[in-house]
Amino acid sequence: MPLYELGVVINASIEEKERDAFLAEIRELLSAQGATIVKEDVWGKRLLAYEIKHQREGFYVFWQYDGPGSSVKPLEYRLRLSEQVLRYLHLNLDREMQRARKMEKKRAEQKAAKKAHKERLAAAAPAAQGS
Amino acid sequence: MAKKKYFVKRKKTCKFTAEGIEYIDYKDLDLLRQYVPVSGKILPRRVSGTNPIYQRKLTRAVKRARLMALLPFLGD
Repeated sequence: MPLYELGVVINASIEEKERDAFLAEIRELLSAQGATIVKEDVWGKRLLAYEIKHQREGFYVFWQYDGPGSSVKPLEYRLRLSEQVLRYLHLNLDREMQRARKMEKKRAEQKAAKKAHKERLAAAAPAAQGS
Repeated sequence: MAKKKYFVKRKKTCKFTAEGIEYIDYKDLDLLRQYVPVSGKILPRRVSGTNPIYQRKLTRAVKRARLMALLPFLGD
């Protein structure tokens, strides 16, 4: 299952109780879809870079979760319906990191090849001196 | 004889290549702000010296940050 990252900006002017209830709902939704939350990052209230729906502040929460691809659709559906959500961003982190992993693998291979080459040279050098 | 003007050429380096940063996170605002002046525009490669691959990643990260109202679309 891929690793997803979900960032949500919630209306900061709603009451704390309501907000907590909403966060709990998302968490429940995630676990109901068979996803496990890897990391929860609550930034809290933050000034928005620009006004959204006449709001100057937003409540930022980020999740990283390991879940099936089928969890994306119902989750986004719920987020889109809610009026408290100002913005959300859903990323497939595995896809984002694909290149990074590839490069890492390539680098490791190159390093190994270099080392092998050096060892071969070192093994050949004393033999040449001896003759 | 006219005086010839000299200026020192600064060597531009790509931070991402140098430090081996492969994934640019849109939440890493301290990093992104280095490439987004107060005007809100993304610094071009010719100014920042970023490699093409990373410039594209940077652009994507900045645009994501803008969407989440972490960075402005329009600066002052």
